[in-house]
Amino acid sequence: MRPDFPLPDTDWEPTREYWAAAARGELAVPRCDSCGAYAWYPRETCEACGQSSFTWTMMSGRGRLFAWTIVHHAFLPQFSDAVPYVPGLVALDEDPAVRIVTRIVDCEPERLTFDLPVRVVFRPLSFPGIDRTVTAPFFTPDAQ
Amino acid sequence: MTVSTAGRDWGVASACENVSGEVAVVGVGESDHSRASGRTSGEIAAQAVERALEDAGLAPSDIDGIMYAPFAGDQFDEAAFHRHFGTSHDMWVSKRGGGMVWAATAAHEAALAIRDGRARHVLNTFAVAWATRRSEMVGGPGESHAQELFKQSLEVPFGWFPQPVYFATIAKRHMYEFGTTQEQLGAVAVACRRHANLTPGAVMHGRALTLDAYMHSPVIVDPFRKEDCCLISDGGAAYIMSASDRAQDLRQPVVEVAGIGLGNSATGVHWAEQRAFTSTPQVFAAPGAFAMAGVEPADVDVLTLYDPFTIHAIMQIEDMGFCVKGEGGDFVEGGALDHDGGVLPYNTHGGLLSHAYVLGIAHVVEVVRQLRGEAAAQVPDARVGVYGGYTGPQASTLVLRRV
Ligand SMILES: [Zn+2]
Repeated sequence: MRPDFPLPDTDWEPTREYWAAAARGELAVPRCDSCGAYAWYPRETCEACGQSSFTWTMMSGRGRLFAWTIVHHAFLPQFSDAVPYVPGLVALDEDPAVRIVTRIVDCEPERLTFDLPVRVVFRPLSFPGIDRTVTAPFFTPDAQ
Repeated sequence: MTVSTAGRDWGVASACENVSGEVAVVGVGESDHSRASGRTSGEIAAQAVERALEDAGLAPSDIDGIMYAPFAGDQFDEAAFHRHFGTSHDMWVSKRGGGMVWAATAAHEAALAIRDGRARHVLNTFAVAWATRRSEMVGGPGESHAQELFKQSLEVPFGWFPQPVYFATIAKRHMYEFGTTQEQLGAVAVACRRHANLTPGAVMHGRALTLDAYMHSPVIVDPFRKEDCCLISDGGAAYIMSASDRAQDLRQPVVEVAGIGLGNSATGVHWAEQRAFTSTPQVFAAPGAFAMAGVEPADVDVLTLYDPFTIHAIMQIEDMGFCVKGEGGDFVEGGALDHDGGVLPYNTHGGLLSHAYVLGIAHVVEVVRQLRGEAAAQVPDARVGVYGGYTGPQASTLVLRRV
């Protein structure tokens, strides 16, 4: 395992553009150049049309809270300062089949509801004992 | 409430040849199940194999086919077999054996090998020493998931890891879509524990669990308590398959392989991608297995399911057709899963939750014992028994029948 685990390897080719976009404060997802379908997770060929050329496309950053949980027990020691925390899946407005794994922040967990409108916010991911931080897409309830 | 009952476009059944009645399970064995034992998985498997041979009344030299899984430590392959028993004969070998979905599908491949004369007596084994090895594994049994690079890049950094976290998320969504309750998850945990309390070899033998105690147990990852999650233990099991006509001449009552099915999700190995987030590929596995066996869900006398978490019982019971999708929570309440009087006796040894974490192979052993009439928590006159295997993107169904 890399020494900075569980930070992401921002140089790993299939998701490099995702993390590069996050560093600029953007949420980007690959979109098929032939048929316009979003491809998430990133993949070699488009499931809709079979072509294999994609462009990372900036998304609105708005979506619905598809599912979440409240983690009270740190399964990895790196999360012992974070508990309780709320990881969740956000279905993006542009295509709800695109579900982004994220953490829900700035909200009491008791106030969360399924399909709640949420929007992206960018925060540093940091872990105890690791100097580096990585800017990552988190989500928060969208006041509209 | 938004009910998003998915259609059937998210997966497919694998084609399986009809092997109904061709082979029987002629011998079963389990190792001792325990917390950290200091043993290797190979040593554990050897103990299970010795017991399966004894149970079948076969000698090591009779075993001319061996199936195992090429992961999870040093599995009991043909070299280990020969080393342990001092034999050297040729063997048909398959790496598509072991636990999980393969604890069911191994019977299909073995039946074809026996039909074609490649083997006469085929052994399938699986063992883990994960309780002993836990401290050296990142996230325990989550280690293989932590090494998957999409998970490492897109999930683990947000703490959506390991398995209890994903499956709690799925359980919570199931509760929202279908009204499944905490008490219904608890009913699964309590039924498994009750059966383990009756099973001397179970890791949780002697540790009672009431629904009240479950409800007062701390939440570790909402909605899961510790009791919703599988054990981590050292252990293994083995079973031997032979042609049904040979089985008549062996030591045990004949339990034949009646039906097998394998279902596959088309939507990837990452749960965030799953189109049918609150379903399992049992939707695609079970119908073919039941059709091959010529039975209906209502004919099943005893069911064992690969059950890493309580929600997997409820989802698979729905997806295999024991009740309507979404009604699994209601179904499991009120003692429905009990060995003595339940409508669907379930994980009668205690399952992964309370018996042992050997990834489903002991579930097959338990079904065989039930159909012989020699289980600890015996279902009266059990004739048709089913094992449901699960890995996430795949599920399998094995129907066994007392002849
Ligand atoms: Zn396309």
